Amino acid sequence: MDPTVLQAGFDVLGDGRPETLWLGIGTLFMLIGTFYFIVKGWGVTDKEAREYYAITILVPGIASAAYLSMFFGIGLTEVEVAGEVLDIYYARYADWLFTTPLLLLDLALLAKVDRVSIGTLIGVDALMIVTGLIGALSHTPLARYSWWLFSTICMIVVLYFLATSLRSAAKERGPEVASTFNTLTALVLVLWTAYPILWIVGTEGAGVVGLGVETLLFMVLDVTAKVGFGFILLRSRAIIGDTEAPEPSAGEASAAD
Amino acid sequence: MSDESTETVAVLNTTSVVGIAVCFVLAVAALFALPTVQSRGVSFDTAFWIVSAVELVTALGIAYFVLNLHEERG
Repeated sequence: MDPTVLQAGFDVLGDGRPETLWLGIGTLFMLIGTFYFIVKGWGVTDKEAREYYAITILVPGIASAAYLSMFFGIGLTEVEVAGEVLDIYYARYADWLFTTPLLLLDLALLAKVDRVSIGTLIGVDALMIVTGLIGALSHTPLARYSWWLFSTICMIVVLYFLATSLRSAAKERGPEVASTFNTLTALVLVLWTAYPILWIVGTEGAGVVGLGVETLLFMVLDVTAKVGFGFILLRSRAIIGDTEAPEPSAGEASAAD
Repeated sequence: MSDESTETVAVLNTTSVVGIAVCFVLAVAALFALPTVQSRGVSFDTAFWIVSAVELVTALGIAYFVLNLHEERG
């Protein structure tokens, strides 16, 4: 298929890469998210809350470094596929290898599942990213699409595990945990499903959208899946219930008067 | 036996805190290390898999240290 070059962006560094605009914005959003979570978590003493904060701060933290490396062109390489040279932002995959296990760990801690379940979930997730990586570096379209399919199947297994086993475990922990877990799982289901779709229509797949649009959409997905996820998790009553003094209800306030 | 004698307190495990910090620094460094590794004569594919392995191992390290972030002290 001939690529429909839907380019977008602005060449910030003057090196012929219009997608640097989106990479720069991505770096900024990830940094803002990191510092927001640090400030919000400063002084938290609750044992469980500290674990969520540690994970949730590190996720956008490493993503901001990955975006910065792509912004400066360090996280970029070229791969020849069927006689055509593709620009591949490999730092994206390295970032996912680090961040997706930690996002799943957040959900596993919320559902309070055993360590074997956590290990299984993270193992399948790692397989998903590694097979995606192999696909990204493959030189023939058949190999690329085959690895993409393998990676997508692993993703479906992870999402199924989240929507069934972990969801049941979270439900047993009470309505607030179940509500937060369901919101986060819905977010993960929608966003993670969009990644393989974007890959297949993007420059690494069929080339229907250009690198500028692809980078913009990956940036939106990444920021929502990391900063948005953390924002919802750390604002939920399931997490802050033990860390902040509850505000009196209207009835209690009136009675005090 | 009084209740006080069996009461345990969860305190931060310093080793885990240091472990998380070290893993994070390694993961960030690895994201920028590929050109340096390649300049030592290593092929892109090999350098890339080294970087990827560091990312995955540091993520697993952080998962381990977070799960052991506190220790119970009586």
